[in-house]
Amino acid sequence: MPATIYKPSTLIVLIFFLLTSLSVTAQQADAENCNLCHGLALLGIATPADGLRSFEITSDAYSHSTHRNVICRDCHTDINVFPHPEEVAKVQCYKSCHITKPFALTGYSHVEQADAHAISAHGFNPEYSEEKNAAKPDCKYCHSNTFRNVINNEALQESSKHCVRCHEGEGLAGVILHVSSHSGHRTAEASINVVELCSSCHADQGHMKQFDVNLTQVSGYERQFHGKALKRGLNEVANCMDCHRNHLNLPAEDPNSSIHPNNIQQTCSANSYCHSNVSSKFAASAIHSAPTTQNNPILFYVEWGFIILTAGTMALLFAHIFLDFGRWLGDIWMRRKEK
Amino acid sequence: MSQDYTRFTLSQRLQHIFMFVPFIILVLTGFPIKFPESEFWSFVMSAAGGIENARIIHRFAAAIMILDFAYHILYVGYNLIKKRPSLAEMHLLPNGRDGRNIKENLKYFLFMSDERPRFHKFSYIEKFDYWAVFWGMFIMAGSGIILWFPVLFSKFLPGIVIQIAYIAHSDEAMLALLAIIIWHFYNVHFNPRIWPANKVWYKGTLSEEEMEYEHPLELEEIKAREEASK
Repeated sequence: MPATIYKPSTLIVLIFFLLTSLSVTAQQADAENCNLCHGLALLGIATPADGLRSFEITSDAYSHSTHRNVICRDCHTDINVFPHPEEVAKVQCYKSCHITKPFALTGYSHVEQADAHAISAHGFNPEYSEEKNAAKPDCKYCHSNTFRNVINNEALQESSKHCVRCHEGEGLAGVILHVSSHSGHRTAEASINVVELCSSCHADQGHMKQFDVNLTQVSGYERQFHGKALKRGLNEVANCMDCHRNHLNLPAEDPNSSIHPNNIQQTCSANSYCHSNVSSKFAASAIHSAPTTQNNPILFYVEWGFIILTAGTMALLFAHIFLDFGRWLGDIWMRRKEK
Repeated sequence: MSQDYTRFTLSQRLQHIFMFVPFIILVLTGFPIKFPESEFWSFVMSAAGGIENARIIHRFAAAIMILDFAYHILYVGYNLIKKRPSLAEMHLLPNGRDGRNIKENLKYFLFMSDERPRFHKFSYIEKFDYWAVFWGMFIMAGSGIILWFPVLFSKFLPGIVIQIAYIAHSDEAMLALLAIIIWHFYNVHFNPRIWPANKVWYKGTLSEEEMEYEHPLELEEIKAREEASK
């Protein structure tokens, strides 16, 4: 009797099973017992260069993170001896680790994403100075691994808004699908957090000045319907990544870019919940930099036309109201004087 | 004995109501999106049931307002054909008298004269109100419908039209709201000679005293006509 699968009690048992299995694997991830020392609150070093540096791993935070199933040395590959060497290389996200991709038999690695990032606008540019390259976001800048931290309920609630724009009302089947795999998704992150993340650099004029990019992108997005509606909680609107992709962020001039004039039509209708069957003319309206006399003179003058029309009209109307009111006051004053 | 004079027919009063009720709803459901960070409009937005509900309510109210305006156009057209009024009988059309009235009113405001201008059926103030809404309806409904169906309209209109519609809808809404709550409300509510309200919008009639004060020229004409028909 297949219908019994959907009984609520079955769901509760399933959720209980999932939760308990998660906490078990979380403990198993520290198979090499690193937290024997790194779980100590005061573990750290003091160097003249860095000052105090804590080496404490809060096991709670770690066991609830995305990487809770990855053993420490899968990422910290340099650490092979004890005591550990003083200088260790930084973690590289494209290293292969022992976790398998859902439904696949291969070891997992972020190399695909790292490759896309490397050739994107955010990747290393040999023509740039070391300082300028360092000012670009690396893997860890965006993937701070705190967003999907399940103990952070507020962030999780925001994230779930993003999920339901497709998965609303899918019930048990949707839950199973979600738990078993979200590898096909750009992100489980809430749109508002994506915009906030991108804005942390792109809205920072001082930071962006060193790069040859448009400084009005974020303010332009916030002026448009997508940006305004998102702030009001409409989660189905496009965030930065929906159009600019997540790792392969390329400038519009690049023919491989999702926002190249040849591809933008496809980008607007890429998701079933976005715009379907759009024309190239529709796609051409998607720009969101502040209009200037150079980049968009028509829009620039329309905007100023309305500002002048509104200010001019209201100035005249206000003048009329004040004069009318003044005459009324004057009449009262004169009547009093006559008495 | 003082008598009441019909100013607005029942149809005209209903047209005004079916214009301003949707107007209020449209403002309450539209401005929270224009000002997404404002606390005040956040309150209004949550009262409307969040942005998802507000968008549906906004379109429903817009449909009623557009139908009301369409009815008004048909109403005006029908009356023009049926009554065939002369230019002088089309009281809402701006004419030379408005220019003279503005000059007279300015002199009165500045105490250069104690004579208020003698208005006919519609003063230049009322004509401005009417034509401002007339122009505003085309801008707001036109841009609103484009933003309602942007994919459809961009099949035959250039993409910049959507951007223009977006700016026009947002900015003209601001102008309309300011004109209504400052200008129109002053003239029909806050003006100390009118306060608390001009009741003609639901009563439809003006008393002889009100006619004498606001529309003396029209009253004069009505009386002359009554004399002649006696």
